[in-house]
Amino acid sequence: MSFWEKAQNIDRRVPYTLLIVLIAYILIRPIGLAVEINAITQAAYNNLDKVPAGSIVWLSADYGASSMTELLPAQKAVMRHAFGKGLRVIAGGMWDEGGAMTDYAWQDVRKDFPEKKYGVDFVNVGYKPGGKVLLERIVADAHQALQGIDFYGKSFAELPLMSEFKTFKDAKLIFEFTSGTPGEQDYMKMVTDPLKIPFSAAATAVSVPGIMPFVQSGQMQGLLQGMSGSAQYEVLVKKPGPAVAGMDAQSVAHLLMVVFILIGNIGYLSTRGKKPQSQA
Amino acid sequence: MRREGPVIFAALAGLAVVICRFFSTQALKAVKDELDQWYLICTAFMVLVGLINLTRVHLKKVSQKKEGWGYSVVLLAGMYWFVLFGLMRGSLGDPQYAWMFNTFPAPLGATMFALLAFYIASASYRSFRVRTAEATVLLVSAVLIMLGSVPVGKLIWSQLPGIRDWMLSNPNTAGLRGIQLGACVGGMATALRILVGLERGHLGGDV
Repeated sequence: MSFWEKAQNIDRRVPYTLLIVLIAYILIRPIGLAVEINAITQAAYNNLDKVPAGSIVWLSADYGASSMTELLPAQKAVMRHAFGKGLRVIAGGMWDEGGAMTDYAWQDVRKDFPEKKYGVDFVNVGYKPGGKVLLERIVADAHQALQGIDFYGKSFAELPLMSEFKTFKDAKLIFEFTSGTPGEQDYMKMVTDPLKIPFSAAATAVSVPGIMPFVQSGQMQGLLQGMSGSAQYEVLVKKPGPAVAGMDAQSVAHLLMVVFILIGNIGYLSTRGKKPQSQA
Repeated sequence: MRREGPVIFAALAGLAVVICRFFSTQALKAVKDELDQWYLICTAFMVLVGLINLTRVHLKKVSQKKEGWGYSVVLLAGMYWFVLFGLMRGSLGDPQYAWMFNTFPAPLGATMFALLAFYIASASYRSFRVRTAEATVLLVSAVLIMLGSVPVGKLIWSQLPGIRDWMLSNPNTAGLRGIQLGACVGGMATALRILVGLERGHLGGDV
């Protein structure tokens, strides 16, 4: 087999090994590549930034542990932004692990905002079943739809913030962290389009192409695109974290994949039309 | 009646929801609220159905000692341990339950997704070949998007991030908008067929 024939059929253990070695090395010794802010991420930041202090914003954690790497940094950065602006945050979710993800974010972010009190500045209502029907019922009566208890089992009666949130109309902005269905389309159909509530989102990179039509139509004002978007938002709130750290590794991984694709194609073009050496 | 009953019930429930969407009276609102409650209860029940089905499938595997039956034992033990512990102690508000969630499902879920990176690396190497014009377009698009999405892309060529944003905002949006319109029209047609009883696949069996 000639060199170029071999180049088209590299054993898969070679890219696997190179990938894991390079990513591990870069995570230990980051390069520090600059993260540039794109217009769509900036639009999401501006959307939250113009909400008046003291207002209530609704964060929807519609993702699980599998998307944690991409979306948890975004949720933390958005919560930091909201608390820094004096906003009050209520977090819920249509996904069963959403409450846990919000709890992770809260336990980390509260260290930077010790003055923020649970029940007064922040409430985690956790996961409630129903998907788009849940959203429709929150529009009508939030306490009844959310069953009157939060993620930790506390009654809404013990949480002063919930006395001011009776329906989605009481939220000045909705920010969703989405990795699939139910997700952003349900919010747009049931809540943000009918009630004209500003809406931004953070999505996994694979979901971004499907969401772009809604960004372009103006139904969604800004979108954090995968871990790159999370890293950009971390830079915007001036608290670089795991997403920024992961961008070096992601850069190396993408570069490696492109190199292998090029090697495979050079090999393919070099041998196209020629008989394999083993048959000559 | 065995055949017509479910069809009539599905049609009436579907029509009720559609009518309630377009008209607003107290009576219709009460009907809609009741249907929504039934939907929420059924959604919660689906978890129970899933639990029973998983138990049935994996118990059969264990009893017949099929290949991989040991994994089925682990699955059943872990599943019922979480269910019983949660029923006794409460969910993630309980520190021990939270520890179990943080130690097992959360990192395992993240790991499963992380494995995709390796499969994608291998699959992209093998499938992105310039065999045809369409495959070449796919290859070039993929390379531009991959490099434009990461900081190193700007170091290679300063225009890459802009090209990537243009590709996502224009050809991608145009294509996906067409697909979503088609999917919506198809969804409406299917819904109408279910409402008038022409579509019975959702009823299962030989109805």
